[in-house]
Amino acid sequence: MNELPLALDLAPGARSFVRALWGLDVRIVSLPLPASSLSPQRPRFLGSRLWLPAALPPEASGRLADYWLAAAAHVAAHLRFGAERFPVRGLKPVQVALVSLLEDARVERLACEQYPGLFRLWAPFHLASATSARSSVALLTRLARSLHEDVHDPDPWVNEARQLFFASGARFRDASFVRELGGHLGNELGQMRMPFNAREYVVGPAYRDDNLGLWQLEPDSTPAGAELELETPASRATQVGRQPSSGRSGCDPGGARGGRAEPSPAPGNLADAPALLYPEWDYVIRAERPGFCALRERAAPMGDAQRLDASLSGYAVTRRRLLRAAALLAAEERVQRRRQASGQRLDLRAAIAAFLTPAASRVSAPRVYRQVRLRRQPPALLVLIDSSESLNCVPPGLSCSALELARRASALLGSTLNAVSREWAIHGFNSNGREDVSYFRFKDFDQTYDRLARARLAGMQAGLSTRLGTALRHAGQALRVRSAERKILLVVTDGEPSDVDVYDPNYLPFDARRATQENRKLGVTSFCIGLDSSAEGRIRCIFGDHHFLLVERLERLPEQLSRLALRLSLERALV
Amino acid sequence: MNASLLEALRVRDEPYYVPVAGEVGLFEAAYATRLPVMLKGPTGCGKTRFVQHMAWRLRRPLVTIACNEELSAADLLGQYLLEEGSTRWQDGPLTLAARFGAICYLDEVVETRQDTLVVIHPLTDDRRLLSLPARSEAFRAHPEFHLVVSHNPGYQSALKDLKPSTKQRFGAIEFDYPERSLEVEILMHETELAPELAERLVSIAEATRRLRGHGLDEGISTRMLVHAGALIRQGVAVEAACQMALVCPLTDDPQLVLALDASVRACL
Repeated sequence: MNELPLALDLAPGARSFVRALWGLDVRIVSLPLPASSLSPQRPRFLGSRLWLPAALPPEASGRLADYWLAAAAHVAAHLRFGAERFPVRGLKPVQVALVSLLEDARVERLACEQYPGLFRLWAPFHLASATSARSSVALLTRLARSLHEDVHDPDPWVNEARQLFFASGARFRDASFVRELGGHLGNELGQMRMPFNAREYVVGPAYRDDNLGLWQLEPDSTPAGAELELETPASRATQVGRQPSSGRSGCDPGGARGGRAEPSPAPGNLADAPALLYPEWDYVIRAERPGFCALRERAAPMGDAQRLDASLSGYAVTRRRLLRAAALLAAEERVQRRRQASGQRLDLRAAIAAFLTPAASRVSAPRVYRQVRLRRQPPALLVLIDSSESLNCVPPGLSCSALELARRASALLGSTLNAVSREWAIHGFNSNGREDVSYFRFKDFDQTYDRLARARLAGMQAGLSTRLGTALRHAGQALRVRSAERKILLVVTDGEPSDVDVYDPNYLPFDARRATQENRKLGVTSFCIGLDSSAEGRIRCIFGDHHFLLVERLERLPEQLSRLALRLSLERALV
Repeated sequence: MNASLLEALRVRDEPYYVPVAGEVGLFEAAYATRLPVMLKGPTGCGKTRFVQHMAWRLRRPLVTIACNEELSAADLLGQYLLEEGSTRWQDGPLTLAARFGAICYLDEVVETRQDTLVVIHPLTDDRRLLSLPARSEAFRAHPEFHLVVSHNPGYQSALKDLKPSTKQRFGAIEFDYPERSLEVEILMHETELAPELAERLVSIAEATRRLRGHGLDEGISTRMLVHAGALIRQGVAVEAACQMALVCPLTDDPQLVLALDASVRACL
């Protein structure tokens, strides 16, 4: 993870901050540094996606973290208190800028009412001086400061604007006055013969977003150059690699996969193994369709084990920590033994018995100790990886695909568990319609975690769809025959069961939920690692409350998988 | 002598407790029919305080047992001790409560191994019988004996659950953190903070509870707020007190510390 830019590390913190403030789920991506420093960067948001500059803008000072928090809180205030996007139609550029500025001030006021400390978070970035030159841009930034602090400004226009704004205080909850007031102030500025160059205008202060997220974009109806200069920021967003879209988690499988070979399994070799038929639950008719799905176990393709081993070098610290915790798992295999000749504790019952029957104690040394470790076998643990097409996406801000992270996660888990238990397995699945569910055993129970197993993990491919229920049933059967007392099925998935022959989005989740319930009856406890936190509702429905963990930062999947596996195995939080 | 021990466990002064949603009435009704009660809810939301309050209300001694994995049946029921060359039977806390009519409270009951817990089964149905195999004794529980257990169905205990045969013996009352105004009132009572500051501390707690399941296992509890308030009363600066009592204990993850710190500052 060393190759990641510094700013990226701030994203999870800023994201959690926004969630803590208003329960909002935003995605934060770091904007790469601009090619030239001529146009300062500004944050930008579209929907719930947020782009933040990777470096502190030249005019700001202080910690980059505070800048990110200020920007994230500002955008969150828009999302929390903002209204529908404004239509641009009929407004001059200066009016667009003013309406945006007033809207910024409005949502910040409302945010500060709830969280007064936000005022202090934003204040250091308001640097406009009341004695600055009298240009339209300078007046705008002075107005921003004057509205933020509610203080007098010597300029009559700024002062009037401030008074009009706060006179509307009672209507702060309603954004409509902002458009009206912005239009009025823009006209006044025009009458003062203050030219406004939309192309060179940069929103101030620096933590505020470029306002693109506030306006309805009307590319066709907009005369060129008449509106806010949108091209530059828009092309910046493209640089990031992903235009915001309504698509799930912004992944672009097509783009991410570019240049790579089509993922196996090759659809041709259906005859790998005889098909196993599994039923499927149809929630609409509330009945099971017997023998509805056909599953085949296929040989997992081989990859380069050495490369996979090398990719773990960045996890050395994590690995040491995990191994220490895994040692506890081995330790817990020890048995509680009573009537021992030595041990950490006195076996009171044996001691009393020895006392009551002095003859016995004279014959031999009294065995009156007990060893306190409880009998605890490691559980049978099966990690089931949903290797469908969605795994191919490259998560925003990361340099490798979710698939690669899943491979590393499996390998890290392997190196952690290998020392202490053989009662674990890593399987995977994908599907291409109900007749063709593929199931792979990368590392099976009782198998040694050797070079071959690692080569199979390295060769893990992703493609096709997710018929989760059928795979869960098959994994449940694999666990059912294990002799361990506890059986744990740990599923790694994005939480979106889907298949080419299913059109009802609820059908497969309900079937998967049913499969989880059936597994419970077999003594198998299911747990899920969700790769997409927006699928929380579905994951909760399938696996149940407290039986899932959402990975907030996908780059931490390797560590999280091993931690969770150990945590479930040890039944407590150790690592 | 045992009876005098129980006398010492009587709750003499009224423990402060603000009813949230009819739980006092429910508990009294359960007590009247001797239906064992299970209290469910996140840590630090007032379950133990509630039991103390009810013991005071019902004028019963309260025997509290903090459950753990190594708790054995003998620890609950009692055992023989050696004394001056002979043995003496010592009642365990559960036996004591059943003999003399106390409320017996098993705190965090899922931490106990499930086969240990089976000893409470005959006590919790209409037999109300406690058997002591080591002593070859069985007796009917005192008419005033009442069993209460608590557990926190948080995600830590995903794999720890009570056996259905144990669960089904209880009536359950669900607890959660009190709603905002009540939590402010409780905090003011416990720490004598000014209303405005209490409100702000509660805002911090509410913010962190939104991170439950998103990096945090649990948000800041009412108990942690009381700790923060107590530090402030000691003269610690508000932000430092929040840092010590709220942020630091909650997480070690630097990302979350950043978010929590920012949330604290936003609320103050």
